[in-house]
Amino acid sequence: MDETIAAEATAHGRAAIAVIRISGLAAFEIAGRHITPWPEGHRRATLCTVRDGNGEVLDEALVTTFLAPASFTGENVVEIATHGGVVVPTLVLAALVASGARVALPGEFTRRAVLNGKLDLVQAEAIGDLIDSTSRAMQRVAMTQLDGGLSRRIEELRDRVIGLESLLAYDIDFPDEDDGPIPKSRIMVATGSVIASLNDLLATAPAGELVRNGALVVIAGAPNAGKSSLFNAMLGRSRAIVTEVPGTTRDAIEAVLDTGPWPIRLVDTAGLRETTDVVEQLGIEVATRYLASADAVLACGDTADGVSRTAAAVSQLTDAPVIPVRTKGDLASSLDVNTVSATTGQGIRELLDRVAEVVSERYGRAPADAPILTRERQRFCVEQAREEMVAFAAAIEDEALPASIAAVHLRSAVNALADVTGTIDVEDVLDRLFRTFCVGK
Amino acid sequence: MHSFESSFDVIVIGGGHAGTEAAVAAARLGASVALITSALETIGQMSCNPAIGGVAKGTVVREVDALGGIMGRATDLASLQFRMLNRSKGPAVWSPRAQCDRGLYRRAARSLIEEQPNLQTIQGTVARLIMDEAGAAIRGAETLEGRKFGARCVVITAGTFLRGRIHIGTEMSLSGGRAGESATTHLAEQLERAGLTVERFKTGTPPRIDGRSVDFSQLQVQESEIDQFDYSWSHFWPVPRSTASGTRNPTQLPCWITYLGAPGKQIIADNIGKSAMYGGAISARGPRYCPSVEDKILRFPDAERHQIFLEPEGHDTSELYVNGLSTSLPADVQVEILHSIPGLERARMNRAGYAIEYDYYPPTQLDPSLQVKAINGLYFAGQINGTTGYEEAAGQGVVAGLNAGLACTGRDPIVLGRHTSYIGVLIDDLVTRGVDEPYRLFTSRSEFRLTVRQDNAIERLALIALELGLYDERERQVVERRFAADRETRRLAEETSIRPDQAAPILSGIDSNALVHSVKIAEVARRQNVSLASLFAAVGVGQDLDPAAVLSTELEIKYAGYFDRERIQADKIKRMGEFSLPGDLDYARMASLTLEARHKLTAIRPRSLAQVSRIPGVSPNDIQNLVIEVERHHKRGVTS
Repeated sequence: MDETIAAEATAHGRAAIAVIRISGLAAFEIAGRHITPWPEGHRRATLCTVRDGNGEVLDEALVTTFLAPASFTGENVVEIATHGGVVVPTLVLAALVASGARVALPGEFTRRAVLNGKLDLVQAEAIGDLIDSTSRAMQRVAMTQLDGGLSRRIEELRDRVIGLESLLAYDIDFPDEDDGPIPKSRIMVATGSVIASLNDLLATAPAGELVRNGALVVIAGAPNAGKSSLFNAMLGRSRAIVTEVPGTTRDAIEAVLDTGPWPIRLVDTAGLRETTDVVEQLGIEVATRYLASADAVLACGDTADGVSRTAAAVSQLTDAPVIPVRTKGDLASSLDVNTVSATTGQGIRELLDRVAEVVSERYGRAPADAPILTRERQRFCVEQAREEMVAFAAAIEDEALPASIAAVHLRSAVNALADVTGTIDVEDVLDRLFRTFCVGK
Repeated sequence: MHSFESSFDVIVIGGGHAGTEAAVAAARLGASVALITSALETIGQMSCNPAIGGVAKGTVVREVDALGGIMGRATDLASLQFRMLNRSKGPAVWSPRAQCDRGLYRRAARSLIEEQPNLQTIQGTVARLIMDEAGAAIRGAETLEGRKFGARCVVITAGTFLRGRIHIGTEMSLSGGRAGESATTHLAEQLERAGLTVERFKTGTPPRIDGRSVDFSQLQVQESEIDQFDYSWSHFWPVPRSTASGTRNPTQLPCWITYLGAPGKQIIADNIGKSAMYGGAISARGPRYCPSVEDKILRFPDAERHQIFLEPEGHDTSELYVNGLSTSLPADVQVEILHSIPGLERARMNRAGYAIEYDYYPPTQLDPSLQVKAINGLYFAGQINGTTGYEEAAGQGVVAGLNAGLACTGRDPIVLGRHTSYIGVLIDDLVTRGVDEPYRLFTSRSEFRLTVRQDNAIERLALIALELGLYDERERQVVERRFAADRETRRLAEETSIRPDQAAPILSGIDSNALVHSVKIAEVARRQNVSLASLFAAVGVGQDLDPAAVLSTELEIKYAGYFDRERIQADKIKRMGEFSLPGDLDYARMASLTLEARHKLTAIRPRSLAQVSRIPGVSPNDIQNLVIEVERHHKRGVTS
């Protein structure tokens, strides 16, 4: 980390402005060779001229300097906002590299922020989520975590377990005190309430995954049942980002729809009929896999009969609710099921609402600002903490172990919670104890 | 160059609990030792409460004893009341505590010192250290009286004497190291001039009263719990306490319990401005766990009453120590408070309580052998390092004395790991974390509360002591017998079966399920509340085994899973401890470490990764990066 790193902080390409960030011990020195006048004072945007190594003017740019540790990375940082496009930012970056900076690896600025104690692990993960977020729901969650929402919640839980530890420590370390022994009921109540809170937090894990990944909604049906038209029509109705699934571009296309309370990961699959075509067979296997993990399936057909045949076939392959959809509604005579028309747009809005409804039935309401677990790693740690707390509660309740031994479970629970965000110190227990009790005869 | 009256390997300055242990430890290693103290009569003086042991502290006494120290033996010769604290909380946290006769303790300490070969006592106040020309190494010490002694190492155990200042109320303040004894200023000034950082702490002591003026009928009595306990096993008392006479079995005396109630609280509140601590006379920090009564009233105003323990000072005096009433209020207010306490309405105060401020040297200036980093051959132990407590002082004294002795004989220093002992925890905390209030041990300071116990100190430390050669022949035999008893207990438990009818009387008494068929004793001993000794008795084996060995083995069997968790942690620390850090690392230039970590590492200069992991402000990421930096450092060393 002795190197000074630089990179374009904005996406490469046509844009009004681009920001180049440089961070490290030599950030001021390196940037200083290319920028005149050097900004007076930190954290103040200043209009400057940027030159290359030969003194040739590259651009007029807004330059802001940040003095360590008051910066994103905790190091000296310079942010150079140049005009956008492909050429200017590349030239500026090249000039910085020529003067001794190294091009930053993906995520390296954030990594340094964590190493320098500017962010905890959860916050760093949240930054990744924020940048990658494809929906309002994800962005809201990421903002809450970045703000320290989850870290604070974990910290608060940890603090309560430490509180319990200090009750036991008080009993052992100060046997002759005014307050006398701590009643078992007080310990049991506190333990029960910590376990309940851990359960509440763990209950957010499915929602966290849903927010990160979106609810998987699969469009299924025979070839030419109008699946692709429906896919495109649903996309057209909302903000969407289309991604190609690697290796299966022909067979499944995904898009994330930011509609309703939960993000929807909409997938258009290949036809579900038997085939000898190897490539298409591959596509069907993909479709089957998607169906198995779907949160909802749109069973499409362009006739009432087709819809019910598809719905029946799909039901074999999924536990998710199946929504029958009659496509090409502009051609239909009867409107018995959800009838939509990609051509006229008829029924699309209603279908999106129905999908949102089905997903909400499955997962409850989308989280507002409450912190939730969005990563497997976080869930694993919290689960471990809960297991230790349950073991502690059992030992105390049955008096199966002396409290001094059972306390081992508390320490393990504290460590598991600390693993979510950072570290723990035994001094925490004593500080807590001295705040709570009048000790010392 | 200097004309020394005589020369020693090690000079120990101070004859308190740190000094006596340091002197004995160095002498046991074979070093020639002088213990210099202002008054030989006060060797082993208990300056504050008349008790040795307590939670964590009692374990330290046994550790000191296992390393050949005198505190356990002196206590056994002076104990007038014994209690095993935490008896109801499981044997893993049992904590022995003995009230002592101050006079008996002092005399026992002095005779044990004088029995020690290679150890000479000298009366005098050390005025200055004699150093080499660079001021970086020790040559000897000179007393106020002008006597000069040569030494290769000096251990300073000055207690509260360095620029000690006693306060009673805001008006009354005088120089002194203990009530009635002078403070030491010359040495303090020399140490400060040598460039060491010095800070101030304060501590306090309660008034003492005349027992003849107490109305005991109003008080709750607290009798001695048992009188069979001995701290010392390494000295293997030849006769059991109960059948011995004289100081081997002093008459047991009770303590008395009363309380400070609303009237006393009101007096303190009304006079708070006259307290040396609250009236502005003292600004130094005192201990949170041993608060003055002023602190208690102000910080916990809702507590209705505070317990007061009246503790006998000895057999030959009626004086009582008023434990719980540490104060720096003026003497007349102290009397008023005493008279508000049930049973003390007519109490006569023999000595007033006082607060004392003194110099300490932030212990991060020491290396883990307790040597001052900046001055070769100079060691600190006890309150000079910012600790409180007789036991904490004694533990440091042993380690400083051993390391001074080892240095004189050209051997490597000894560092006790946190997993080996509370002494290890104490010293590691001091040199790695430093202190921000007078430091006292608690079980909660240790990650190894279950495996580091009072009953197994000898198992933990005897091997170290044997390797250092600290035991005499008789002690070595005692320890070998104990190890043999451990092995025999374990073997009997694992190989002897117990029949259902033999176990029935034990199990039915505690509502534990009856056995269906015969099983090994160890299996039944795993159950809660089933004692190994009772199982042995039911089968009729192991009746002559050392009860201490049976207790230790029982705990190991019963809580094996939990102990294993600690031992896995201990192994991890050991591995990190084996990753040693070169002395010439330039932390300031390690850009992969946080600034805070760089500052801390530069100041503390840890020896191993294990020590790094306990420095506050150094994160797991820092540790990872440090490993990489050290590997780089080694590679550079190889290629250049």
